[in-house]
Amino acid sequence: MKIDTNRLKNIVGDANFIDDVADRYVYASDASVHHHMPACIVRPSTTKEVQQILRYANQNKIPVVPRGAGSGMSGHTVPLDGGIVLDMKQMNRILDIRPEDVLCRVEPGVINDELNCILKPYSFFFPPTPSSGMICTIGGMIGTNASGNRSVKYGATRDAIMGMKVVLANGDLVTLGSNTRVDSSGYQLARLMVGSEGTLGVVVEATLQISPLPKYRAMGIANFSILEDAGRMISQTIAAGIVPSMLELMDKVAITAVNNAQNLGLPDVAAIVIFECNGMIKEAVDYEMNRIKEICEKNHGTGVSVSDNLKEMTRIYEGRQKLFPSLSRYGEGLVSTALADDMAVPMSKIADTVKKIHEIAKRNHVVMSAYGHCGAGLIHTKILMDTSKKSQWDDAKKAVHEVYEYVYSIGGTTSGEHGIAISKAPSWKQEKKDSLEMMKAIKKALDPNNILNPHKLMDAPDDWLSATSLRYQVFP
Amino acid sequence: MSKKESELKHLEKEMNVCIRCAYCFEECPVIKEMQWDTDGARGKLILSYGLLTGDLQPSKYIADKLFCCTFCRDCLERCPSKVSILEIITAARAHLINEGYASDTHKHVIHNINTTGNIYGDTEVISPEQDGKTPLFVGCQYLSRPNKTKKYLKILEKLGIEPLVKKEICCGFPMKVLGFEKELKIHEEKFQKAFPYKEAITFCPTCTVFLKEGHGINAKHVLQVIAEKTPAAQLGMKVTYHDPCDFSRGLKIIDEPRNILKKFGVEVVEMKQSKGQSRCCGGGGGILMSDQNLSGTIAKKRIQQAIETGVETLITSCPTCEQVLKKAATEIGESNGKTIAVRSIEDIIWEGVKNL
Repeated sequence: MKIDTNRLKNIVGDANFIDDVADRYVYASDASVHHHMPACIVRPSTTKEVQQILRYANQNKIPVVPRGAGSGMSGHTVPLDGGIVLDMKQMNRILDIRPEDVLCRVEPGVINDELNCILKPYSFFFPPTPSSGMICTIGGMIGTNASGNRSVKYGATRDAIMGMKVVLANGDLVTLGSNTRVDSSGYQLARLMVGSEGTLGVVVEATLQISPLPKYRAMGIANFSILEDAGRMISQTIAAGIVPSMLELMDKVAITAVNNAQNLGLPDVAAIVIFECNGMIKEAVDYEMNRIKEICEKNHGTGVSVSDNLKEMTRIYEGRQKLFPSLSRYGEGLVSTALADDMAVPMSKIADTVKKIHEIAKRNHVVMSAYGHCGAGLIHTKILMDTSKKSQWDDAKKAVHEVYEYVYSIGGTTSGEHGIAISKAPSWKQEKKDSLEMMKAIKKALDPNNILNPHKLMDAPDDWLSATSLRYQVFP
Repeated sequence: MSKKESELKHLEKEMNVCIRCAYCFEECPVIKEMQWDTDGARGKLILSYGLLTGDLQPSKYIADKLFCCTFCRDCLERCPSKVSILEIITAARAHLINEGYASDTHKHVIHNINTTGNIYGDTEVISPEQDGKTPLFVGCQYLSRPNKTKKYLKILEKLGIEPLVKKEICCGFPMKVLGFEKELKIHEEKFQKAFPYKEAITFCPTCTVFLKEGHGINAKHVLQVIAEKTPAAQLGMKVTYHDPCDFSRGLKIIDEPRNILKKFGVEVVEMKQSKGQSRCCGGGGGILMSDQNLSGTIAKKRIQQAIETGVETLITSCPTCEQVLKKAATEIGESNGKTIAVRSIEDIIWEGVKNL
């Protein structure tokens, strides 16, 4: 594959093209375990430039991988076949804010938290709240169908997408979806693009449904000495018809890690549940918080405390938001790797799953944490291990396989919010085996030359461990 | 695998603690301007890892990237894993220096320190030697600005503090930050002979941090000393205050300058980003020797934030911040007409105490 660098420079300008080996090395990785270098990185500023780049790439069968902050955990932006990385961060304009229509239009490089800062004076916000909100881009959120700790009430990115403009592999620009809250006009193609991980098109504009900022908010914490009690408390809360704006579980590993890294002073117990309710009427918020407190106590929760003190709520909330990276500080020599990291399970199976995860970890000589937006049925795990040892990677591979075998056996799914890409593809292909051909047909119809983020999802290698180089030095 | 990997080898585990989440992007002044992943803290850590493993060979391009950092410490605040980012960048710089990628400017500064004891190579620099009780470390920046030094000494005298000042040499921070480890080792011996004290009052925020972290000296910045003895005065000013990064994030000195100003009847209108979240002036980490244009662009962003407060004066407490921000304010004034005056805190303090 020979790339005409002058052609690309003519499109985006010299200042927006880089191909030094140092830059390629940096753009070879994201927050996953994978590493593979692109041939070059280009930075478009307009839809027209994106169209020109894709037309050129399609004609010459050159892979193109769109990238936002590069914070994906499964290798979404690792260019498995090399080619061009499209750094979309410069397309970061907010095009329109229409509170009366409860929507805004943005370019894909807009950062989640920056959008929320701009929406705040209008008393609105964009509800999906990924922990990486301070740096992740709207384009990346669309690519992975990201969500966060508010998903229990507001849903994921897909639930807040009304429409979008997408540049297809051949350079054509299409407008998908609408500006309306309901839409029964044929195939829901905008929704198809959400979670497609850059394999079907490059999003150049998104119409987002925004929500009014709640006037009242209260947060609570409960400690549990038995993990299963915490799991039961979570599923009973949801089954009771309460709609918390956050319902998060942290296990002992997660508590230790966040205390070590963030000095949060959380108690040394088997599990902590953090819950939050918000709304426009204080009495309604208080009522729901009291109901949750009752359910906590019924399930042997101790030290149940509720606060509407903004400073204290912010401290706990920020500690939780930084949990994933904090896991690297769990223990000396243990590195936090994003493997089997975000499965979703039926509500009633949360406690069983968490318990199973610890059993699997122990059996395979790794440490695994369990935490997450359990109110939405989502459990995060990370595998903590000595990444320098080949045997630990073999252990991790077995653990990943066993985790997913269990998740599927109870009716769960591979990924709740981070997406599939490379690391999760082998297991996911087993889960979705009867719809893989359908997905391949869609991909082939929209990208016949297979240039858009190739070899991800259903086309990913069957062994994630050998799919790319690892970002770590590994010794036998 | 590169043979010369020792500067980074001991940090391999620390580099693996970084899970490459990119949270360090949030307020990094360099990536905010450059907008390439390579220019942020995560990018610099990945380059460092590449140098360690031998995946990357040292090059001028990599050196330019790794020397393009203001050491503002914002990434340290944002990093949820608390990775020792600056230690890694410093080690990577040392690796590059040992591989022959020191720029002429870097070599010149180190030569100045070795031959004259100060970063400017100024043979006429004179320490204002005096007898006293607590040792005072003036630092190169203040020694080369004798009027500022005199002012601080007079302030201390007014407040009844008698510092001991001896002939001194550079603390060695430029050698550390630029990666001249071998030279630093030799310099450390000279420094300990010239400044054999366990405690000190200091004038420069950066020297204060390095005396503490590099030499294990119980250093106390002069503003901390003054804050304990500030008399009341009514200067009736309205200003904004720029927190030097080594102050607010390095030493956690946030309240002291504000309390001093408040006692003098000076109202501080905070900028959009202040205190621990303060935005860098663009002058630290050796960036002035690497990319003055980028430094100037970062400084202008900070001045714009100061102008947005609506006040006419910005106060700061670091000579580098003062110099960089003054230049940016002048350039903004020349192009826009509207700008802000930049003054150092010792000027204000002197006005408050001169009639004592």
